[in-house]
Amino acid sequence: MLRPIPLLAAGLLLGALPLLATAQTAPDTAPPAAPFQKVSELVTLPDFLPGLGTLYVDPASLPAGPFLGYDHDGKLSATIYMAPLEDLEGGSAFNDLAVGSNSVTSVDIYYNAGHPGVEKPHVHVVLYHDMAAKARLAE
Amino acid sequence: MNRRMLITWGVALLWAAQVRPRRATAAGPLMIEMKGSLRGEKVWFVPLGLAVDPGAMIRFVNRDAGNSHTATAYHPDILDRPQRIPNGAQPWDSDLLLPDEAFEITLTVPGVYDLYCQPHEHAGMVARIVVGRPGQDPGWQGPPAEAGDLPEAALAAFPPVDDILAQGAVMPGPGEKT
Repeated sequence: MLRPIPLLAAGLLLGALPLLATAQTAPDTAPPAAPFQKVSELVTLPDFLPGLGTLYVDPASLPAGPFLGYDHDGKLSATIYMAPLEDLEGGSAFNDLAVGSNSVTSVDIYYNAGHPGVEKPHVHVVLYHDMAAKARLAE
Repeated sequence: MNRRMLITWGVALLWAAQVRPRRATAAGPLMIEMKGSLRGEKVWFVPLGLAVDPGAMIRFVNRDAGNSHTATAYHPDILDRPQRIPNGAQPWDSDLLLPDEAFEITLTVPGVYDLYCQPHEHAGMVARIVVGRPGQDPGWQGPPAEAGDLPEAALAAFPPVDDILAQGAVMPGPGEKT
């Protein structure tokens, strides 16, 4: 027979599991805490990038990221990774990257010719964190 | 010559004047826009080739809402790149332009000026301006024969000088939106 206290603890743990599965790993509202910095303050880029939102990144994690994409209301909407093609072709891998939120409703992967911060042609991997995120980040 | 023939000739002359390749004059700034596709898959200058008279003013404008661009002359004084502008011409670098920002230059020395966008040279984002005409403007200098350290994508993107002189302006291919 289980003792009451361990039983209570087990119950709490089991009850917490679904919450842990959808827990935020980054703040739901901008700005995220250091070491994340606003991309437009690190390089010459617009504050809001159509399709990606207002981006924050830990400079030490460049080029891959994660980049946290917030919508016009400051809501965390996407996590973005940027993988240079040259690095991938050279055998580099980007493993165990953090995620802004464990809730991911869809993923887009596409080519980008480069931009300040990640000049080499690269791949954008965009994890959207809710069904409406893509539309909110569109423009 | 009757009235109908006069009208016909008039229309024909008007049409010829509109379609004849013309070089831009120095009357006002001429526009070269920096553009890109929505997700940044492609980036380009519009036009990517332009013929102008000596003394023409060129205005570069970033029309790409999601990216920053430069208009930078190929010259050893700027990032130690190969010289691809005429001897004696002043090299320039716009620095990164945010959307809707602009930068102006005036080109006086006759010849071919090749320029590029710093973050997008490897994607082939280059342009060529031809100032004056060979045999007409004293001291006119053509493009260098050597490739230097330019990436293949950039070298392949320069329109031929003859095409620029014949057309006045060379637009990007059908893959890009102008």
